[in-house]
Amino acid sequence: MAASQRDISVSEFFAKNRHLLGFDNPRKALLTAVKEAVDNSLDACEEAGIVPELWVHIETTAPNRFKVGVQDNGPGIVRKQIPLIFGKLLYGSKFHRLRMSRGQQGIGISAAGMYGMLTTGKPVKIVSKISPRKPAHYFEIQIDTKRNQPEIINGKGEGEDIPAGEKGARYIADHGIEWVSELNSGTRVTIELEGRFMRGRGSVDEYLEQTAIANPHVTIHYVDPDGTQTTFERSTTQLPPEPQEIKPHPYGIELGRLVTMLKDTPATTISQFLTTSFSRVSPSVAQKLCEAGKISTRSSPKRIGRHEAEALFQAIQTTKISAPATDCISPIGEALILKGLHHQVPGEFYSAATRPPAVYRGNPFLIEVGLAFGGASPAQKVSLDTLTELLSESDSRSVRQFLMTTFDGIGPTGAEKILSEAKLGPRQTPGKLSKEEITQLHAAMKNVNLTEGQTMQVLRYANRVPLLFQSAACAITQAVIGTNWRSYGLTQSRGQLPTGPITVMVHMASVWVPFTSESKEAIASYPEIMKDLRLALQAVGRKLSIYLNRRNRVKQEGERREIFLRYLGEVATAVASIKDYSERPKKDLYNRLLEVAKRKTSEADLLLESGSAKIESAAEEFGENVLIVEEQDGQENEQSLG
Amino acid sequence: MARKTNKASDKVTLTVKDKKTLGSIRGMADEVVQSAERGRAPHVDIPSRSLSNVRFNQSKRIIEMGSGSSRRELFNLSQARSYMQTLLVGSGCKQLIEQGKTTSIRGLFYLLKHTIEGTREETFDTQSECDPVIEDVEVALDAMREELHLYAKNAGAMVGPITLVDSGDEIDCARMGSGGYSIPSIVEPEIVQFKKNTAKFILHVEKDTVWRRFNEDKFWKQHNCILTHGGGQPPRGVRRMLHRLHHELNLPVYCLLDNDPWGYYIYSVIKQGSINLAYESRRMAIPHARFLGLRSNDYERCQLTPSVQIKLNDQDIKRARQIASYPWFANKKPWQKEIDLMLKNGFKLEVEALISKDISYVTEEFVPARLTEGVFLD
Repeated sequence: MAASQRDISVSEFFAKNRHLLGFDNPRKALLTAVKEAVDNSLDACEEAGIVPELWVHIETTAPNRFKVGVQDNGPGIVRKQIPLIFGKLLYGSKFHRLRMSRGQQGIGISAAGMYGMLTTGKPVKIVSKISPRKPAHYFEIQIDTKRNQPEIINGKGEGEDIPAGEKGARYIADHGIEWVSELNSGTRVTIELEGRFMRGRGSVDEYLEQTAIANPHVTIHYVDPDGTQTTFERSTTQLPPEPQEIKPHPYGIELGRLVTMLKDTPATTISQFLTTSFSRVSPSVAQKLCEAGKISTRSSPKRIGRHEAEALFQAIQTTKISAPATDCISPIGEALILKGLHHQVPGEFYSAATRPPAVYRGNPFLIEVGLAFGGASPAQKVSLDTLTELLSESDSRSVRQFLMTTFDGIGPTGAEKILSEAKLGPRQTPGKLSKEEITQLHAAMKNVNLTEGQTMQVLRYANRVPLLFQSAACAITQAVIGTNWRSYGLTQSRGQLPTGPITVMVHMASVWVPFTSESKEAIASYPEIMKDLRLALQAVGRKLSIYLNRRNRVKQEGERREIFLRYLGEVATAVASIKDYSERPKKDLYNRLLEVAKRKTSEADLLLESGSAKIESAAEEFGENVLIVEEQDGQENEQSLG
Repeated sequence: MARKTNKASDKVTLTVKDKKTLGSIRGMADEVVQSAERGRAPHVDIPSRSLSNVRFNQSKRIIEMGSGSSRRELFNLSQARSYMQTLLVGSGCKQLIEQGKTTSIRGLFYLLKHTIEGTREETFDTQSECDPVIEDVEVALDAMREELHLYAKNAGAMVGPITLVDSGDEIDCARMGSGGYSIPSIVEPEIVQFKKNTAKFILHVEKDTVWRRFNEDKFWKQHNCILTHGGGQPPRGVRRMLHRLHHELNLPVYCLLDNDPWGYYIYSVIKQGSINLAYESRRMAIPHARFLGLRSNDYERCQLTPSVQIKLNDQDIKRARQIASYPWFANKKPWQKEIDLMLKNGFKLEVEALISKDISYVTEEFVPARLTEGVFLD
């Protein structure tokens, strides 16, 4: 027994437990690989102050095998670091600091490489260039899972340099890697892995689209396995303000952590310890803490005993300390949220809210919410060709299931409606539909009014990274469900997302996002986070309800007028018959009654007019950060407020 | 109203009454025209036909309508449709009067029912939607139903030693066989005139079945009376006929009704008028009508068996209490006692219950005994 006891390497652990990192099925694996590479690239660019431009290339090499290449225009990586970053798990710059970034643990990209190696046996290929004058480095790396160490395959274990110019280009072509060569610097990682390419929910397409919403400063060039090129253009060249690294805030530090910190600190006095290890603790605050904890400010941290540590801990809880610095978090900002949402999600009403930063467990965080109302559901935008393709790729057992899993906003009732409109049986296999049936289905999807059965679409983000899986376990989803949307004029069943043509994007920015697992798919529901989520959702909800009320009022007045108009003709005819009127005076009477009816329901005309005066009144009604899109004569008319 | 009006072909001479009615219908239309010219919302004021707007006139002893009215507006969501219907009924009646024709209320419903142009909506969905509007027009124009050239279906029959003239035909009510003379819904003097009468009183029974018993036993011949029934709650024609017989020929009216809340209310309607048609009370109510039976104490007096009892249900009890609290019953001790006794008994009795004693018990013993006793509820 004792003989078989031995160390477990991190890589071995994760190779066995790859589902913890998001590599549990081939479909998700492909997405996770893209996601990790994109996250790293964006972090690198932003840290270096470069406006990011990314190239994402997915290519089919064999059935169920894909070559994923992600290149950025970032600063590049110095030669020595490349093998460690891509070939060693839990190696990184982001774990030990408190600073807002997409990556956190230093697992992601190396795990993706390891997964590729496990499933295809192919090494990870990295090209990185730090300056136009210097040669680019080229590495082919494998992970030695037993030791969690990188193993360089090419150039006799040293890697190779690609010379600049034409010679280099030929070299690149020979090695089957792509390189967008006109860049001064940048990194490209190419991983070959087993996966499945699918469209619809939880796909690479969706991930990149959502990334574009939350990162309006990023341009992504995307080539999918069919060779279709899509470019998500940036809508601003301004980088988000660079987040600052901070020390932990005293609130929410646990006792055990405090004891560890006391033990490890190089500080010689308690006062010094408090001011240097924590943010927002000035000497005077430190003195207050010591007084409250009945400790001398000059006692040595090393000699603080269990009881005194506990007293200090209590003192921290009861003393008023100002909130953590906010410059460590860079929010997307309400204006850019509106821009991003409007760019990607069609709708008629947009609103956004950014909460002031708050703290959980000593980590500052910030919640932002954007809401888009109206517009067609994604199911109604899909083209016939795309639908045909989606159907042939689907692994759903029935068309009904296909509709529900592929498109956001189609619930069981919506699917039933579409199927009955298309005259298709609910159990037909998606792949076996005839051309005619597909055309019918496509027409039905366009015609059926899905607004009623549509459920709210929730886009979740953590530090600008879209979260696509495990929505039920996520604090954001729970907060959205927990919010009473009925009071904002939407319909919602208990414990369900509200229904209606609504998209809500929620962004949590923090120096440390508390994920429920290493695959970073869901945010843990700390009470402080839940509270801020709720408040932010309520802020946009209130604005939505003002908009809906106004819209309903106009609609109701319209309906009222319609009812009156319906009876006016009858009344005029009856009066004419009693008074023996001829056609002329009857017409006059009708017109006069019509005038009265119009005046009585004048609010219905609100929608018909538009002008600068209207915008002012709307601004008064809504407050700031609202975008209303009104369609007139086919052209869009935007009113941007705040 | 894209209907042909063949005014030109036949000239109809209008009576004074017709001209008056036409005038008030025009007044309703004028209001619409004037409102439209002044840019105001048209409306009709309709005296309300509810318990809250009726008053018991102590000296006349009839139910009269109060002055309360409700306004019906065209530009009010919940009233727009009924406003339109009100004017339609007005125009329909105008057409009838001008052409000198009468129709049933069901006929008017069909005359006015059509699809509203450009919609799938009908002007009237059912006759039950049309009937209250007709009554509204009656009260709003202060015109009686026959003045609007409308009638209801015949209900109720009479038989007895009286000869009358109905639309020019002489009718001897003593020779009407087993069915009797069917009382039309319009019995105004223009249509029905009394010619010869030897009857001394009127016996009004609740239903056809009881009436047949009396007719078969030739009760009216032996007792020299007019025998009528109203098929349950008597319609206007029957009430108007009773009213005219009572007032013009000085015949006292005795009622033989079931011993239940509905019987009480039928008596109440005959005597002082109904809440719904309070505006008609002055030409229909018979304050001197008498309640002959069945009384709550008849169960013991006639020694009936328990098998003829019908248990009072909750609705009966509720209705009985309601009737007891009507102002025209509230101050009458005998009636309060009567209703209390029924509630105490816990059962109701139908007139047919007397048949359990003997088939002709009611005609040969019960009614003659009550009439000679001369004790009635008032």
